[in-house]
Amino acid sequence: MQSDKGFFGRFGGSYIPEILHASQQALLDAWNQARVDSDFLAEVDRELQQYSGRPTPLTPCPNLTRELGGAQVFLKREDLNHSGAHKMNNVIGQGLLVKRMGKKRIIAETGAGQHGVASALIAARLGLECTIYMGARDIERQYPNVFWMKQLGATVVPVTSGGQTLRDALDEALRDWSADPSGSHYLLGTACGCAPYPEMVAEFQSVIGREVRAQSLQQFGTLPDSIYACVGGGSNAAGIMLPFIDDQSVELVGVEAGGRGPAPGDHSIRLSDDLGSPGIAQGFATMFLQDDQGQLMETHSIAAGLDYVGVSPILAHLNDTGRVRMTAANDDEVMHAFQALLRLEGIIPALESSHAVAGALRDIPAMSPDKKVVINISGRGDKDIFNVASAVKDAEFGPFLQRYLARELQA
Amino acid sequence: MSKLQTFIEQQRKEKPILLMTHVVYGYPTIDESLALMRDLLNEGVELLEVQFPFSDPSADGPSILHACHQALQQRPTLARCLEDIALLAEDFPASRILLMSYLNPLYRYGLERLPADAAAAGIAGLIIPDLPLELAADFRHSCVEARIEPIWMLTPETPPARMQQICDAASGMLYCVSRRGVTGADSHNSGNSQQVPLEDYLAAIRATTPLPLGVGFGIRTGVQVKALHGMADIAVVGSGLLDAFNHGGRSAALEQVRSLRG
Ligand SMILES: Cc1ncc(COP(=O)(O)O)c(C=O)c1O
Repeated sequence: MQSDKGFFGRFGGSYIPEILHASQQALLDAWNQARVDSDFLAEVDRELQQYSGRPTPLTPCPNLTRELGGAQVFLKREDLNHSGAHKMNNVIGQGLLVKRMGKKRIIAETGAGQHGVASALIAARLGLECTIYMGARDIERQYPNVFWMKQLGATVVPVTSGGQTLRDALDEALRDWSADPSGSHYLLGTACGCAPYPEMVAEFQSVIGREVRAQSLQQFGTLPDSIYACVGGGSNAAGIMLPFIDDQSVELVGVEAGGRGPAPGDHSIRLSDDLGSPGIAQGFATMFLQDDQGQLMETHSIAAGLDYVGVSPILAHLNDTGRVRMTAANDDEVMHAFQALLRLEGIIPALESSHAVAGALRDIPAMSPDKKVVINISGRGDKDIFNVASAVKDAEFGPFLQRYLARELQA
Repeated sequence: MSKLQTFIEQQRKEKPILLMTHVVYGYPTIDESLALMRDLLNEGVELLEVQFPFSDPSADGPSILHACHQALQQRPTLARCLEDIALLAEDFPASRILLMSYLNPLYRYGLERLPADAAAAGIAGLIIPDLPLELAADFRHSCVEARIEPIWMLTPETPPARMQQICDAASGMLYCVSRRGVTGADSHNSGNSQQVPLEDYLAAIRATTPLPLGVGFGIRTGVQVKALHGMADIAVVGSGLLDAFNHGGRSAALEQVRSLRG
């Protein structure tokens, strides 16, 4: 989706400190040239195919469909990307752009750690130096991802300020970029931040929607009736939705993290339910969770990747225009949806993606059986093993860890 | 010529350089931050920069970031901050007060009404690090109407054409960021690319504009301030003062200011 000088309706823009201006302009120029350069686009396509394993399948779910007794359910399998999430699509695109710009170092922020791992992978593959900022609280929730980032040769810097989650990591990445604006590229992981990031990341992710379009026509002969995606920063949602933006027959539904409930600090609902309000922070204008003094608020989600205080200006705008319907799923619904997909279809979705599943499960029984629903499984759930083990109160997991620790301490 | 520029030029007739000292409103408490501001004004600093805290100060390093987060525990409001500044401005007519904050708290308050309210509180200028010139048309208009100066920033990364554009738009004074990175002691690796020497950078700005120049980021010793004589009009001291305060309270902060005067 093309912005109007970096704006999508009343959202977007580039509100950054002056120190970053020249570097942001250089990125804008590089992106504007690359996006119409067929050699560059072919290189991105090739790498998506040969390195990440695209195209990812569109998987029919006969058991889930039968169980729900409504519309037919299909899953877009972004979990089958290399690294286990859609984040790969973006880092391949930006990584190749960084090579083109001749920069040698990337900086990334990460929440769940999926973007961190994807960044570390592409840095290793393209021979780039890589520093990743991650909230100390998120590190506690997702240490296995941190482990892999380090093994891949990245430097992981724990961010101990503020709420110690994604938004603090993003601030710290901006500070790092300010120290070396001409030498480092800030590889933002979602469709947020200053221009051109929202547009550029959404474009790199749009491969998801383009594939869904072709696969739908091929597998069931029409476009889907509804598409569901979880919305953290908004990149997997923008990626699957934007290629359908002009097809009014396709309903687009974004699902935010309802967390523990609507009280401040218990959720990450920025667009649905009127909980967010317009603001300008972290480089762009969007709907933020903030108090009456304009201080950004703490957020919560069972899924670290949805635990973010702002949202893509593209989705904020599409919510304004009504083209995208936003809703939220709470932690309990999400665990239920997660388990349903495991048991009925043998697929382990990320807790982030399980929000999209939960949103769809709510609506599907009321839809007619000739309708087709596509749910974006943005990532796989292996990374969530600790959180899931704790949520399902697995009796064996704790003792296993204790025995593991005892063995390690002895060795 | 603006009132702020006139003030700075008059002060400069007798002094080789002026001091702008920075205080985070509400740190460690609202009353203590106001007491520190009074001390500094009593000490005769020519300019006081009051930072209204924001949860996500992306141009600030660890010292100011921490102070902002601590200050937010006091739940400061911008309305009360303006009232408190109005009292200071009344009591210390020989100095000038500038208000600094990030865009969001100001946007929330109302970017159109802020210039008039700030001017009514006796504030001489507004510093907003994340508001770029090209997105500030309405704000600049409100500032002109309210007769308050929006203070624009230049950095060593600012290309010549943009430097010219910002200088042309500026009034009152310019805030020249001394180096790459954020406020305070260098906390990130600043890469391999060469930075322009400070003298050359300031000389280039001086050749572009007759406006008074303030230099900040990383300035914390009398030697550094002295080195700016003849190249700039104002030395801006933020984190250095805050670190001194954290170390030994208001008296240490005042001692720091005296040592800056050399
Ligand atoms: C698997 C997965 N899905 C979704 C998200 C949310 O990001 P976005 O909204 O940008 O797709 C994340 C973020 O870390 C993620 O790891």
